[in-house]
Amino acid sequence: MADLIQLLTNGLALGSVYALAAIGFVIVYSATGVVNFAAGQFVMLGTFAGVATLVNAGWPLPVGYAGALALMALFGLLFYAVVYLPLGRSPVVTIIIGTVAIGITLQNAALLTFGSWPFRLPSPVEGMMLEVAGAVIPVHAVAVVVATAVLIGLMWLLLNRTALGIAMRAVAQDAKTARLMGLRVNALLAFTWVLAAVLAGIAGLMLGPMWFADVNMGDPIALKAFAATIIGGFGSLPGAIAGGLFVGLAEVLGASYVSSAYKDLIAFGAMILFLLLRPQGVFGERIQDRG
Amino acid sequence: MLAVEDLTVAYGDIAALHGVSLEVRQGETVALIGANGAGKTTLLQTISGLNAIRGGDIRFAGNSLKRLSCERRVRLGIAQAPEGRRIFPGLTVEENLVVATAAWRRPGGSYADELAFAFDLFPRLKERRRQLGWSLSGGEQQMLAIGRALMARPKLLLLDEPSLGLAPRLAEEVYERVGRIRESGLTILVVEQNTVLALAVADRGYVLETGRVVLAGPAAELKANPRVREAYLGR
Repeated sequence: MADLIQLLTNGLALGSVYALAAIGFVIVYSATGVVNFAAGQFVMLGTFAGVATLVNAGWPLPVGYAGALALMALFGLLFYAVVYLPLGRSPVVTIIIGTVAIGITLQNAALLTFGSWPFRLPSPVEGMMLEVAGAVIPVHAVAVVVATAVLIGLMWLLLNRTALGIAMRAVAQDAKTARLMGLRVNALLAFTWVLAAVLAGIAGLMLGPMWFADVNMGDPIALKAFAATIIGGFGSLPGAIAGGLFVGLAEVLGASYVSSAYKDLIAFGAMILFLLLRPQGVFGERIQDRG
Repeated sequence: MLAVEDLTVAYGDIAALHGVSLEVRQGETVALIGANGAGKTTLLQTISGLNAIRGGDIRFAGNSLKRLSCERRVRLGIAQAPEGRRIFPGLTVEENLVVATAAWRRPGGSYADELAFAFDLFPRLKERRRQLGWSLSGGEQQMLAIGRALMARPKLLLLDEPSLGLAPRLAEEVYERVGRIRESGLTILVVEQNTVLALAVADRGYVLETGRVVLAGPAAELKANPRVREAYLGR
C-alpha cells in the first residue's frame, strides 16, 4: 500500500509534466495546424534555461524561475518570427519538417553550450519528504501535481473567460474569418507560440529535479507527449491532460510492477491500440461540421 | 462612402475582376447581382482585404484601402458577413458575437449596447446564446453571421449571399431583418444570386458578369430591365 501511494504520486508528477508538454503541443496544433516535432526540445530548453539562471548564474530561486520563463517566452516569440512566419506560406508538411530540423538544431546548440555532462537542477523543496500512511513521498512530486492543476485551471480561464482566449480560439478554428472580424491574427498566433514555449518551460523546470538535466532528454518527452495526445484525442485539451497522466502513471507503475526494461511498452502499446481501434482518442473532436 | 475604381483582381494568371467600378453612397443599400463565378465574392473579399489588388483602387471615405490590412479596414468600419456564414464552430453564439468587438473595444470595455442590439434584431440568438456555433441551423447561423458583423460597429456592412442554402421562407426572414438594418441608417452592400430578394431591399444595383459590370441603375429600373428579367428573374 505504501509503495502504491509512492508510485502513484511519482506517476502523477511525471504525468503532469507530460500533460503540460502535450498541452503546449495541442494549442500550437489547433491554432496553426503545425505538428511541432520540436515540442520535446522546448521542454529540454526549459530545463536548461533553469540550469543557466539557477546553476550557472546562481540566481536566487524566484528570480531564477522568472528569468528562465522570460527566456522561454522570448524563445517562443523567436520561434514564431524566425521559423513559423517565414515558412508560413509553405505547405504545412514543410513547416512540420522544419520543426524537426529546428529540434535537432536546438539539441545540438544545447550540447555545444552546456556540454554532454548532465546537470542537477535544484527544487525549491529540495530533499523535503512527506509521510502519508507509511509512504514517504517527495514534496516536489506533490508540488508538481498541484502546480500543474493550478496552471490547467488558469489555462481554462484564459481560453474561456477572457477576450484574448476567445480570440485565440477563433483564430484556431478559422483564421481567415478571424481576419475578417478584425482580429490581429498574427499577434494572436505569436502569443500562442509564446504560451506553448512558456508551458514547456514550466514543464522543464519541474522535470529538472526529477530527472537529470541532459541535452538528450527532449526526445523521450516528445514521444511521451505525442503518445499522450493520441490517447487523449488529437487537438483536445482535456485529452492532453488525461493522456499525459495516463502515460506518466503507466511508465512509473509499469517500471515497478512489470519490468523497468518494458516501462514504455504500456504507454506506446496503448497508443498503437488507440491508433488502430479509436484513432480519435478518448475525448475525440468536440466540434462537428453540420452538413 | 465606398468607391471601387477600375478594379482588377487576379488569381495567378487568371483575372477574376476586369476593371470593375462601383459606388456605394452614405446610407444607401446597394445590391450586386450576378451568376455563380461572376466575381461577386471576389469583389467583397477584396474590399475586406483578403485579396491583393492587381490594378485600380478601392476608396473608403476618400482614403485608399490598397495598403491597409484586413484588421485596419475593420477598424475603419468595414464589416462583413462572409459567404457560407463562416461561424466559429467551437465558440458559443455569444462568444461568436463578442469576438467581433475586437476592432473597437478596449480591454474590459462594455459591449452591452451592441449585444442588446443584435439580440433585439435576432431574438433566436439570445435563446441560443450558450449553444456552440456548429449546432445552429443554417438560418440561425446566417443571423449570427450578420449579428457578428454588426458587433464590429460598422459604417459599411458587406453581406455575401445571405440567402445561400436557406429555405425560401427563411431567406425572406433574413431579408426582412436586412431591411430593418437598412432603416437604422447603416450603409449596406449586398451580394446575392437571389435577385428578387436583393432588388427588393436595395436602392440601387449592379449586375456583374464574368468579372465586369454590365448593368447598373436604380433597383426598380433593374427589376424592369428585360435582360435582368430574362437572365436572373426567370420570366
